[in-house]
Amino acid sequence: MLALGLVARWVHLATSIFLVGGSVMIVMAGQSDRPTARRWEQRTLAATRALAVVALASGLVVLSVQTALFEGRVGAALDLAAIARVVVETQAGHVWLVRFGLLVLLAAFLLLRLSVDRRVDWRAARGEGVLLGAAALLPIAAAGHAAAVEPGTARAIALDALHVVAAGVWVGGLVPLALLLRAAATSEGSDARPYAVLAARRFSRVALGAVAILAVTGALLATVHVGSVAGLVGTRYGRLLLAKLLLLALALLLAMVNRSVLLARLGGDGATVGRPAMRRLSGFVVAEACLALAILGVVAALGVTPPARHDAPVWPFAIRLSTAALEGASAEATRALIGSQIAVLGLAGLVAAAVLRSRMLPLGALGLVALGAGAGLALPPLAIDAYPTTYLRPSIPYQAASVASGAALYRESCVACHGARGAGDGPAGLSLPRPPADLRAPHTTQHTAGDLYWWLTNGIPAAGMPGFGARLSDDQRWDLINFLRALSAGYAARGMGATVEPDRRWLVAPDFAFAVGPTPPRSLKEYRGRVVLLVLYQLPESRPRMSQIAGREGTLAMLGVEVIAVPTDADRDAIRRLGDDPRVLFPVVTDGAEAIVATYRLFAAAPHAEFLIDRQGYVRTIAKSRGQAEEMEMEPLLAQIQELNQERVPVEPPPEEHVH
Amino acid sequence: MRAWKAVVLFNLALVVGAGWGYAFWGVRAARLERELAAARATALSGVEREWTVEGVVRAIFPELNVLVITHGEINEFMPAMTMGFRVASPKIQEAVSVGDAVRFTVRGVPPNVAVIAIQKITR
Repeated sequence: MLALGLVARWVHLATSIFLVGGSVMIVMAGQSDRPTARRWEQRTLAATRALAVVALASGLVVLSVQTALFEGRVGAALDLAAIARVVVETQAGHVWLVRFGLLVLLAAFLLLRLSVDRRVDWRAARGEGVLLGAAALLPIAAAGHAAAVEPGTARAIALDALHVVAAGVWVGGLVPLALLLRAAATSEGSDARPYAVLAARRFSRVALGAVAILAVTGALLATVHVGSVAGLVGTRYGRLLLAKLLLLALALLLAMVNRSVLLARLGGDGATVGRPAMRRLSGFVVAEACLALAILGVVAALGVTPPARHDAPVWPFAIRLSTAALEGASAEATRALIGSQIAVLGLAGLVAAAVLRSRMLPLGALGLVALGAGAGLALPPLAIDAYPTTYLRPSIPYQAASVASGAALYRESCVACHGARGAGDGPAGLSLPRPPADLRAPHTTQHTAGDLYWWLTNGIPAAGMPGFGARLSDDQRWDLINFLRALSAGYAARGMGATVEPDRRWLVAPDFAFAVGPTPPRSLKEYRGRVVLLVLYQLPESRPRMSQIAGREGTLAMLGVEVIAVPTDADRDAIRRLGDDPRVLFPVVTDGAEAIVATYRLFAAAPHAEFLIDRQGYVRTIAKSRGQAEEMEMEPLLAQIQELNQERVPVEPPPEEHVH
Repeated sequence: MRAWKAVVLFNLALVVGAGWGYAFWGVRAARLERELAAARATALSGVEREWTVEGVVRAIFPELNVLVITHGEINEFMPAMTMGFRVASPKIQEAVSVGDAVRFTVRGVPPNVAVIAIQKITR
């Protein structure tokens, strides 16, 4: 079923694209009164007619296979009611409806026997073929991966549409061009030779433009669908894309030879035009078309493969390159800097060689040598050990519940060697071949979450660290990694005070879920866009401070601050214990407090702690106290809130996006 | 017929057909949406309604006959929040104290609603 769907997709894509190319090629070649040229035009027209019918038929097969996949049963492929449902109720179905309509119109139009002897009639009739063919091809973009891009759907669809039409002009024009060249290269086709040479030149120019459009839109679409080197080399989608690029490089190489060598040899007057060159060019163009057909096959496979961005990449190399390796190593950094400058010079040399044709060889050689030397100098210091899971994204989000269960797992499995506070000073660690890592240290920025996942799963044999892949579940290992992230963030946050540091956002507030009494649970994330004052309190010490906050609740509300109070003893009767004098109206967490306390205590180990979280979800101040009112005042807090409110909110990705 | 005329007619028919189809569907969809909104509005306004929701008593103002309750979403009326509700009779607020988890019933013509019944729940 899948294979049938893939083949049908391939046939449908190829015919849709060849339809556009054939029509464009006829328009580009122009009207002619030479018999051979007219015969070629009629043959190409007949071919487009057949292509329209095949495109319709293969489109129906694709649709029925898609219906079967949609409904999850093979029988649905032949169930008209199911197909109708898909067509009417899904966006892809609407696109199919529009495309089928246009294809039927195109086929009907091509079957009309219009007399086209006059120039204006010819132009109108052949132009209509291009118009309908392109109109039928364009909506294909709205039914593919581009339609699922979020945000920027319209941009992705427009890019994809431009990409397929440019492909249609280049790829689709190859076969008719080869046919024309072959016909003109024979002795009886000599009347059409000037016409063929002109058509080849025009096609060459237009195809160059189409390839440029393909390159630009393709690169932009790759950043949308793949987005990273890991996605390119580590996922199915990425590797298919690499295969497509390889085939494309071969096709472009052929095209370059055709354009710069063979096309030039076609010169001369009508009768004396180079026939062998024309024959060879036709052969090369056919080869180019075959490569293009293979590319379309890869594209059909890409269409049914989830984009790399939504796949877990498996890193195939033992190292990766990152500037994070240079942190704290100034000699290495200097080396990398010098090497990179030499490499840039080498690149400049290569560009100069391409521009100045007269000195191409010496300049190019120099450029290559400089590029190689620069890379050899700059790259080794950037290398960091990497593992297959290096670019794996956590499957459990960075949330208090996960951190809390990670903390429990840490106490069970890790404390013996890494120590109670993660400093690497556990008693059992003393006998190991290498001292256990200090898990709080800033060097953790050099390791991705995926690296930690690998070490947790497989251990580090050389250092005596055991693997936990068999003992802990997948989710448990990610919980531990989230705990380690919070642990090292908390260590880094030990210097954070009660005053906002302008424009320094780095401490991500772990998300948490909480509930007040029987009301449905809410999460911290829902408060994004507002300043949150998170208060971890302990009775009776915190009572004066809680009275202070409750007394200024009106002011806090006016400043747009949401207060969330969390009892550190996780008392389910916390609201009753706070009492009604003064009246406390902000949310007091009765469900979910344990996880919040376990997580945020890593940032501030005090009985009473207040965290000011800014509008993007970063912790900006941490105030610790034993809770006495004389220790903490309301006015400084209000001043900090005002500071946050006046801050310009930068356009940055939300904190979850970057793992470290 | 001349081919260019045929092409022009063809395109004209295409554009008119697409435009007519879109206008037909667009107008119909817009009308249905308006009718739906109107039906919703008449269903919700001017009619006495009743909801039962759960929440926590946060404060009691006996002199105002008001209970402040942190409650979950009230379907088609208000989202989850902490707010004051008028009580239908003073007896209702005497039955609860601050911190109680409660299930309560509000009745009235929105936005004028009052608590008509309240009951402590144990979780």
